[in-house]
Amino acid sequence: MAMILEKLPGLTKGLPGGELFLTTSDYIIDLGRRQSMWPMTFGLACCAIEMMASYASRLDFDRMGVIPRASPRQADVMIVAGTVCKKMAEPILEIYHQMPEPRFVISMGSCANCGGPYYDSYSVLKGVDRIVPVDVYIAGCPPRPEALQYAVVKLQEKISKMSLKKGLATVQQEKGSRDINA
Amino acid sequence: MTNDEVFAKISAKFPMVEKAAVQVKDYLTVRLSSKDDLLPFAQWAKDSSFDMLETVTATDLLGPVDMKGYIRQQNFNPFLPDGATPQIESAPTTGYPYRPAMDLLWVFFSVAEKARVFVRLELPREGISAPSLVPLFKSADWQEREAFDLLGIGFEGHPNLTKILTPDFTQGHPLRKDYVHIKDRFDE
Repeated sequence: MAMILEKLPGLTKGLPGGELFLTTSDYIIDLGRRQSMWPMTFGLACCAIEMMASYASRLDFDRMGVIPRASPRQADVMIVAGTVCKKMAEPILEIYHQMPEPRFVISMGSCANCGGPYYDSYSVLKGVDRIVPVDVYIAGCPPRPEALQYAVVKLQEKISKMSLKKGLATVQQEKGSRDINA
Repeated sequence: MTNDEVFAKISAKFPMVEKAAVQVKDYLTVRLSSKDDLLPFAQWAKDSSFDMLETVTATDLLGPVDMKGYIRQQNFNPFLPDGATPQIESAPTTGYPYRPAMDLLWVFFSVAEKARVFVRLELPREGISAPSLVPLFKSADWQEREAFDLLGIGFEGHPNLTKILTPDFTQGHPLRKDYVHIKDRFDE
């Protein structure tokens, strides 16, 4: 018995016996990838408070498979939560390159998007997308935890469109990050 | 020990030292007449129970306007193209107290007496330098480096007067009022 599963969770119930599944490799890889996005514990400023709130019990990020990891080696997604100083830019690049591929970046808040209120400052990077490719931007100062969770939903939608044929990279990732030694 | 008692002790030892025109909160604020007084004063403070140096900092009195009262930098945003519309209207401001000088501040604290002495010293801005207090107080080390990094004050006799806060590629001293940002590699 064989079936092609495009909607895997919906059709598993209908399988008599359920001995054999047939699906596309893209679908099964993307499913595993998008349902367990582990972000790195990485807060830079006040947006990190909202990020912590969304991990905590009231908003419960765990139900979406988002479990914070303390090491970039175990993380899939980097949530840049807060103002990126120029002094912090090099550590961020280093952490980004320590994460295993495929890796994703969520830019959280106005500061990480474009510099925010510190746009004229001598010491603040005007957007984290100047050094690493960003997949999802969240507007707000700071964004509410719901906005962060919506960003994860949008990232899941994006991941579900990835395919082996395209080299498993999103458009933003093909742009690449800045050379770490530049 | 009240402020008057402390000031009486100071003026007995240093007759040139006078009370500053503006007092910082409730604390005794004195003004040194020249930077040669600083080291003897600090030595006296250390010997007479003011044995903790809390703060070394400074204020740039140059102000955001030039000596004629005009805004010095109309386009403070370095990312605007040349000849862009001015972000600030240039108009003379009257009654400004600005002058080309820096107001240095040292705060000595007496743990035994629970008293503070704020010591101010105004120095001309060009090639500003003051004696370092590191030989007397170890806590002066990083604070003097910070004042050097952000305001460009040289401290004579400091063992390691290098940048402490800004990254290596930042040029200039950002808290000086005439600081103009030079684009670095993260500004492209």
